[in-house]
Amino acid sequence: MGKRNTVVISSSDDEDYEPSSRLKRSYEKAKSRSSVTRTNPSRAKKPRLPSFRLSKESSDVDEVRLAFEDFNEVFNGFKVSAGSRRSNAKELWVDKHKPRSMEELAVHKKKVEEVKSWFEERLRTPKYLQGDIGSSVLIITGQAGVGKSATVHAVASQIGTQLCEWNAPTPTIWQEHVHNSSAGISGINYTSKLDEFENFVERVRKYGLISSSFNGNSKSSIILVIDDLPVTNGRAAFERLKTCLVLLVRSTRVPTAILITDYGNADSSDPNARWLEELQLSLESAGASKVLFNPITNNSIKKTLSRICRQEQCNVAAEEIDLIAKASGGDIRHAITSLQLFCLKPDVELDLSSSNSTPSYPKENANELTAFNGGFSSQYGRDETLTLFHALGKFLHNKRDKENVVALDQNAFCVREKFSRLPFKMDSPEKILCQAHGQSRPITDFLHENVLDFLCDEAMDDAWAVASYLGDADLLLASFRGMLTRHSETENVLQSAAASVAVRGVLYGNFHPSPSRWHAIRKPNLWQIERSLSHNQNEMLRQRFMAGSGSSSLSEVSVIATEYIPVLKWLGYRTSSGLETHDSEDDSSQTMSMIDEQESKISDDDIEDW
Amino acid sequence: MLWVDKYRPKTLDQAMVHQDIALNLKKLVAEQDCPHLLFYGPSGSGKKTLIMALLRQIFGPSAEKVKVENRNWKIDAGNRTIDLELTTLSSTNHVELSPSDVGFQDRYIVQEIIKEMAKNRPIDTKGKKGYKVLVLNEVDKLSREAQHSLRRTMEKYSASCRLILCCNSSSKVTEAIRSRCLNIRINAPSEEQIIKVLEFIGKKEGLQLPSGFAARIAEKSNRSLRRAILSFETCRVQQYPFTSKQAIPPMDWEEYISEIATDIMKEQSPKRLFQVRGKVYELLVNCIPPEIVLKRLLHELLKKLDAELKHEVCHWAAYYEHRMRLGQKAIFHIEAFVAKFMSIYKAFLIATFG
Repeated sequence: MGKRNTVVISSSDDEDYEPSSRLKRSYEKAKSRSSVTRTNPSRAKKPRLPSFRLSKESSDVDEVRLAFEDFNEVFNGFKVSAGSRRSNAKELWVDKHKPRSMEELAVHKKKVEEVKSWFEERLRTPKYLQGDIGSSVLIITGQAGVGKSATVHAVASQIGTQLCEWNAPTPTIWQEHVHNSSAGISGINYTSKLDEFENFVERVRKYGLISSSFNGNSKSSIILVIDDLPVTNGRAAFERLKTCLVLLVRSTRVPTAILITDYGNADSSDPNARWLEELQLSLESAGASKVLFNPITNNSIKKTLSRICRQEQCNVAAEEIDLIAKASGGDIRHAITSLQLFCLKPDVELDLSSSNSTPSYPKENANELTAFNGGFSSQYGRDETLTLFHALGKFLHNKRDKENVVALDQNAFCVREKFSRLPFKMDSPEKILCQAHGQSRPITDFLHENVLDFLCDEAMDDAWAVASYLGDADLLLASFRGMLTRHSETENVLQSAAASVAVRGVLYGNFHPSPSRWHAIRKPNLWQIERSLSHNQNEMLRQRFMAGSGSSSLSEVSVIATEYIPVLKWLGYRTSSGLETHDSEDDSSQTMSMIDEQESKISDDDIEDW
Repeated sequence: MLWVDKYRPKTLDQAMVHQDIALNLKKLVAEQDCPHLLFYGPSGSGKKTLIMALLRQIFGPSAEKVKVENRNWKIDAGNRTIDLELTTLSSTNHVELSPSDVGFQDRYIVQEIIKEMAKNRPIDTKGKKGYKVLVLNEVDKLSREAQHSLRRTMEKYSASCRLILCCNSSSKVTEAIRSRCLNIRINAPSEEQIIKVLEFIGKKEGLQLPSGFAARIAEKSNRSLRRAILSFETCRVQQYPFTSKQAIPPMDWEEYISEIATDIMKEQSPKRLFQVRGKVYELLVNCIPPEIVLKRLLHELLKKLDAELKHEVCHWAAYYEHRMRLGQKAIFHIEAFVAKFMSIYKAFLIATFG
């Protein structure tokens, strides 16, 4: 208890943070990181400037933090305030068990090696030769929590270099800026993150990181890490970010790692995710190397979790670890957090025993803990999302059990032989739909486009059943369209019913699936057709008016298409056949072999007119 | 210029078919006023020609000075605005449009344009307030709501605006609208009338028509005067001097559909169904209406089919045609029909030939 008291006392004192930090020296890195962005009362009135944090991770010397602009400024900011100190006492395991060496990394060895050798190569090559080995930018992509940053940090410490990170400065909120400027307080200039980032990159490109200005430790080399790309809102901002990064890739001499979190396709509706992809491509084409981190395997996660358990001296059953690892979906950060949550005892006692920041569980609690598991296990685990394509794949491949394992009891309602289907080897279709959060119209279109590939060649009846159910779905989607916009509930019900009909129709109808092989899932051709259709309609009306310049009336599109156009083609009027050329290039292949037939009949001289 | 346009009667007096109707219309507008009109009749019977001639009768030659526009409307519908785009054709005195082209938002168009027309009424030479004419095509394809809103606007603005509605089938126009209009049925011209017109054109063009040739075209035209004149012109391009045995070229899309039908008869499998889908897409992208595709396809299939199956196939065609009209994406239903046909036909083949 005495020990605990010192902590309290010392933490109330702003200047003194020595006593307990000795215990946790190794965790200091994590702490300091979080403290950089913390708004500190003492510096609130001063302009916030972009800062670098330079950490020498290989040694246990205290961290050196530097800023070009205002050393003292940032240094003051480093001092940890009382509030943040106390929270450190119960540190997150994610930070606490951060890998400190390459061996501790859960990332696949080869990937780590790849990153390491890349950096080594860059650092070994003299500056003037660096042009020969390609750009000195490495893009590391991967899902959230696969250890991208951890790898870079570990590698850097292994090969003994300094890491220089771009850290977004504490933001001045726009309202704050407005308030200040209206009150006549000068000093805080509002700069957008993007501006700051651009400035920073500009400087790095032009001058490099002037290592001598850091701390005299100029012999050790520097790696620049850009972990935190500014959020871009809107196309224009994104373009700026892109150009700025491409320039960086082209011209920088400092080995740089850009970490990009891959959000997967699940959220492809978010333009930011698409832009990130675009960004990657353009950076790659500018010469940057790329390493893709896969989700961490179950086994590595399990290994790491058990190691943490040993260190924390808590007793977690292997099955539980297994469960956590599975539920994490390759996200090790999430797995560790889950583990910590799992190991938390729902007891107040815990607070007392955790004074030394290692929550260790007395033996007698272990049993209680396992008893608690049943209800607990469902609490961790991410909400699994599926990509649209994953879900479509499930529906189209239609995996079912080999035989009906469910014993039918006598009273059960029996369907006739030809209507009965084997049970699914997957969750219920509605659940999958829900996970894929797809909208019913596109899902129906995708199924319609692709389902025929998955039918056995002989199964015509199946094809009809599927087509018919898809028709039903279309009917549901079409009815009341536009009329129910005010009753979104009703609309929702209708939509999900339609999706359900489409999916179950496909699953039911596909009674004789084709022998499974790999099929690419195509984008519905229908969409392209619809676009060209509406384009062609307008075009036809216009041209009809031009061609029949005497006719002062609008004709119906159907009449033009079925009667005038064919005749005009026969007669060789060029005006009408200009129609399809207005379409975008990618559908030129599918527009009209029909036209082509006609073309060949008309003399070849006309081709020049195209 | 196509012959259809070239020999289109410009005035009511020139009409070669439906002279009686033309005469009645002339009398009707003699007093510079007319009720709302609803023209209905099969395609190619001369509705549009009569309407244009009528407009000329009312407004004089200025009715022919028209411009075509792709107009955008911003419509304030409660809490949101709807953007609509539609091709219109207008002169100083009339506006013509096909509101059904914008789909289910057609009612906004109808309301908006009538209001707009009512706002700026032309003033004729005598200082009397004149009226404008709104020609609406394909009224039978208007949604039910559009027809309802049309009914109200018709009454409200009847002082400043006359409507001329034009459609193929009056059965799809609500009773309320029909009762507010003078209904004029335009029959399909008889074959004799068509022959007369063709011979007239032949004479004007200085062509030698072998006996029976015009009759064959007329017969093939399915009593559509437009179709007859168009195929007459294609024949002229294809071969002249005419021979009485000369083949009348079918429309390319008809050929294409019969090709599809042959494909379907040859093989019945999901793979073939997929190929058929591709071909149907090609038709659709060229604006061939899905109803016509389905109808023609049925026609072609029936030609080749055993009498035993005809009844069932017709039933399914009707079933899917109905669903196509209710539904949104025609391809789903056309494909379902083709699949059903394949499945019936396959079962039939297996039963017959084992």
